[in-house]
Amino acid sequence: MVADSGAPRAVRSQRLNEPRPALVEAGFDGVPRRVDRRAVALVREEWRVVDRWWTEEPVHRRYFDTVLEDGRCAVVFYDEAGRSWFTQKT
Amino acid sequence: MLACILIPGFELRAALRGRARLLLEPAALAPVPGTRPEIGAVTATAEAAGVRPGMLLGEALATCPSLVLVEQDPAAAEQAWEEIMLRLEGEGLVVEPADPGCLYVETRTVERLYGGIEGVLKRALAAVGPGWDARAGAADRKFAALAAASVARAGQILVVSSEETPTFLAPLPLGILPLGRERYEELEGLGIRTVGQLAALPGTAVAERLGSDGRQAWHLARGGGRSRIRPRRPPAEIAERLEFPEPVDNELTLRRALGALVERALGRQERGGRAVRKVALSARLVGGGSWRRTLTLREPAADRDRLRVALGPKLAELPAPVTSLGLELQELAEWTGRQLELVKAEGAELQSRLKEGLRQVRSSVGAGAVATVVEVAPWSRIPEHRALFVPRD
Repeated sequence: MVADSGAPRAVRSQRLNEPRPALVEAGFDGVPRRVDRRAVALVREEWRVVDRWWTEEPVHRRYFDTVLEDGRCAVVFYDEAGRSWFTQKT
Repeated sequence: MLACILIPGFELRAALRGRARLLLEPAALAPVPGTRPEIGAVTATAEAAGVRPGMLLGEALATCPSLVLVEQDPAAAEQAWEEIMLRLEGEGLVVEPADPGCLYVETRTVERLYGGIEGVLKRALAAVGPGWDARAGAADRKFAALAAASVARAGQILVVSSEETPTFLAPLPLGILPLGRERYEELEGLGIRTVGQLAALPGTAVAERLGSDGRQAWHLARGGGRSRIRPRRPPAEIAERLEFPEPVDNELTLRRALGALVERALGRQERGGRAVRKVALSARLVGGGSWRRTLTLREPAADRDRLRVALGPKLAELPAPVTSLGLELQELAEWTGRQLELVKAEGAELQSRLKEGLRQVRSSVGAGAVATVVEVAPWSRIPEHRALFVPRD
């Protein structure tokens, strides 16, 4: 039996590089000390992204480009609106 | 004889068509976005106020606070230039365009028809039309004709015979020669201020001191070489335009619009199956100006994808959101088809295997298993807004 092919098929796209929740322990200054239970050896860069403030989903993030003790690099950000940490490739 | 028709500040005049009032006010062509902020051509009133073409924008505005900046309109300039050349060709003149606002014509072929060189040039200036302040110069060499046209006033005709050429060129300032600013300064430092003074120097010494461009300028100062007029090829007239309901700056939308334009242009009957050699992409910008890029393909193509790939990167150069996008097939190849290959190219086999593999993945995993990354806002500061993962079937 062949399915009816008369109706148009819906194609749903999805965003690439969506942020994923991360386990981050930060110091008093908000700078990450441990990411996914690994100590942060170096914070290479820090920047803020404030955007879409005119919408109902404003973006207010503080990004950190870190090097972990095992040599891996990780980019994490603190979402100031949702008060939670995420990891994301940039 | 050769003649040069010159329209000083052509781009500014073209941008001011329909706003002729501004020609009487201090106005200048605004700098091209993304380049050094130097103003372009200026009106006579602006020049009288001390503003010079090539001045930095801040300096120009400080010199003349009432200076009106006119947006560059390359599409209007190209259209006006094409109309002028068509009118000259309509008079039976052989035309060789040099730059917008400067062209050479061969007069010998029509001198008897129009009653001598002056008659030809009167006819040519009339064909250019009023409002352009064109001027004409004639000589037996191109550079001398250009120099004569540069010296002439608006509407004036200046004919320099071959005997008079050295004496005519001698008192002219060095600025008439195509030299860089440093070279002018170097020559002025040496006390050389006129074309005649440069021409009097020994050629080898000039070449040694100023290099190849100095040698070229010296050669021109002595009249330049004899060269013939190379008539232009009339452009093909296949043009398509897409108007947007609202200004667009999204690259994805622009690329799709470009795809639609390429398909429509290639589908035109006038093309007659011929491949495209030269294309122009133009856009009307939201601020009122326009944008234009011309591309000559390394190999003529009639393939939609090849044209899209070649033109796509140009869209990234758009300086502002656009209200319409246009595509012109300016030059077509003479041939309509190409000999097919006896043996398939190496990549073709790989391509067919890849297609078969993707088909297999889709049939085993289901719809949506194969996807492409489509950039929607690569400039976004929010990483997840830059690209979409779009399933393909």
